[in-house]
Amino acid sequence: MSALLEVQDLVKRFPLGGTRKTVQAVNGVEFTIDRGETLALVGESGSGKTTIGRCVTGLIEPTAGTISFDGKPMGRGRDIRSKGLRGRIQFVFQEPAESLDPRQRIGETLGEPLRYLGVTRADRERRVLDVARRLGLADSTLDQFPAELSAGQQQRVGIGRAVITDPELIVLDEPTSALDPTARAEIVDLLIRLQREFGTAYLFISHDLSTVRFLSHRVAVLYLGTIVEQAAAEALFARPLHPYSVGLLASVLLPNPRLKPSSAVTLEGEIPSPIDLPPGCSLAGRCPFVGERCRTTRPPPTAVGPAHYVSCFHHERVAALDRTVDHFARFQQESNRLLSVGADGN
Amino acid sequence: MVAAPILDISDLWVSFPAYRAEPVRALKGVDLAIPPGEFIGLVGESGSGKTTLARAAMGLVPPPGIIERGQVLFNGRNMGQIEDEARRAVLGRELAMVIANPRAELNPVVPVGRQISNIVFYHLSVSRAEADRRALEMLRAVRIPDAERRFAAYPHELSGGMAQRVVIAIALACTPKLVISDDATSGLDVTVQTQVLDLLKTMVAEKGASALFITRDIAITAHYCSRIAVIFAGEIVELAPVATFFERPAHPYSITLLAAFSHSPELRLRWTRPPEVDAAPIPAGGCAFAARCVRRRERCLAEAPLLRPLAGGRSVRCHFPVDESVT
Repeated sequence: MSALLEVQDLVKRFPLGGTRKTVQAVNGVEFTIDRGETLALVGESGSGKTTIGRCVTGLIEPTAGTISFDGKPMGRGRDIRSKGLRGRIQFVFQEPAESLDPRQRIGETLGEPLRYLGVTRADRERRVLDVARRLGLADSTLDQFPAELSAGQQQRVGIGRAVITDPELIVLDEPTSALDPTARAEIVDLLIRLQREFGTAYLFISHDLSTVRFLSHRVAVLYLGTIVEQAAAEALFARPLHPYSVGLLASVLLPNPRLKPSSAVTLEGEIPSPIDLPPGCSLAGRCPFVGERCRTTRPPPTAVGPAHYVSCFHHERVAALDRTVDHFARFQQESNRLLSVGADGN
Repeated sequence: MVAAPILDISDLWVSFPAYRAEPVRALKGVDLAIPPGEFIGLVGESGSGKTTLARAAMGLVPPPGIIERGQVLFNGRNMGQIEDEARRAVLGRELAMVIANPRAELNPVVPVGRQISNIVFYHLSVSRAEADRRALEMLRAVRIPDAERRFAAYPHELSGGMAQRVVIAIALACTPKLVISDDATSGLDVTVQTQVLDLLKTMVAEKGASALFITRDIAITAHYCSRIAVIFAGEIVELAPVATFFERPAHPYSITLLAAFSHSPELRLRWTRPPEVDAAPIPAGGCAFAARCVRRRERCLAEAPLLRPLAGGRSVRCHFPVDESVT
């Protein structure tokens, strides 16, 4: 069976106004997503996460490379948003408040995608009601305006607008980063439930690693437009093998004072500008393992386990690091203990 | 003997008048004292009153809001009644604030080095040359690479993490006694967030100052504070040493904050009250958290709980706390 989405050697450059320079936003990215699967793209600002999401949705055109959906390559130029794909790939935006039309009632917003698919008015109203119930929105919400809703409810509407067309793939661009932790957990639960019910695949774009861990089957770690490591979620969180993944995971703060962020790898400085990238490994300037070869040659992806790829010449040295326990697993144990008592009033 | 607190908030009520309605009470009787050298975290969701508390501490309750009752003493001064002139002498000098969006705080048309030097020049009555020297020193202290060149840079030329470091440099330039951080790292990437928090903590601690970390991310308080205050609907519902709090949280709301990080949707749902159709409205006068509380009983609807001490330096505002153990 072929994958639902297949991205090969994706490159996207943006010209820089007034110069001959380009912003090298995405540099040869490859991944696949199966039906009903969640792939998380994680990375810091400027790593190219959102650009990849926009290419996949056909909102922008790639500079090079191919994106195939359901076995067929996506169109180019004017065909980029071909009619056949309409409604099958959907997008959920980061800022719920900004992505909703402030002067449109929630019901209209939810039903709008169906208008372009030629669904009749009566059918639209029925499906809007149906979606609102699945999202846990009261029927009265449909007559309200976005400003009357909380941020969590607004994001539910953003998700509802995406699922109403029964898409096979939803690109979620940081859907929870503008929300409080409690609202964030609710949205994550909703996404998991919708996926179980309808078998929708997700491309989940995020820099929030604790949410990624709840939601994803596989994770691709992105740094300066390149995937540096790709693995099953449990494998990556338990034993990351790229220095950048190690540093990224070590900087996640967990709400338990005894689980201090470990310091096996410290990343100095910040992500450099994606204009005029140096030839070698993109992490060379920040990496404690950097060697001569890293500065001249780009490390190719190497298989280090089942469906686990790392682009690093020194991944064996990373693997040999003396590492403390898997903080995420320990935290979950602790958290299970805390939450298991007292909920029923005793 | 315990040293007098640097910030002493007692029974603070702040309200905002509403058109043809009861005023909105943003803070309802908050008591909070920060001793010198302490790092305390204030956690709550959007709209819980966190930022109003910070503004009140600076004597800057935004109009038309008013302090209805209670007082804020900063280093012995009543910030609620302070004259503008006196307040200007305190803010930036003894009490400094770091906010979430550094680009909004920095002046876009003034080089960042000058912005640090301005505050030194204004408060410490030194020469311009001396102020510039101090500013450069601060840029180095917040570990901005190539500080001499960056001194003349404008805010738009810096990344978000760099801009936040400049804001920290401004806050600490006059060695304040209290630093308030209002979600200072929420816009930053995780690797930069830990760098900036580590830096803020080290620098505040080196100067012997206190810090109030206001945040909606409870994980930050676990690693950077010694005490935590949880605020819900304008009231402090739990106040505890960090080690105890994360080991044995007492208030049901505190647990829902921790539950948001759990891997298990089932366990998270145990702490979420299911929406009730046709439920009788929650009467006023009971516990503010009752509508969302899974441990709610009759008494919670009838009688508002008071903040009461438990053993181990903890206080909780709940009739039926989850943990009441003595040690």
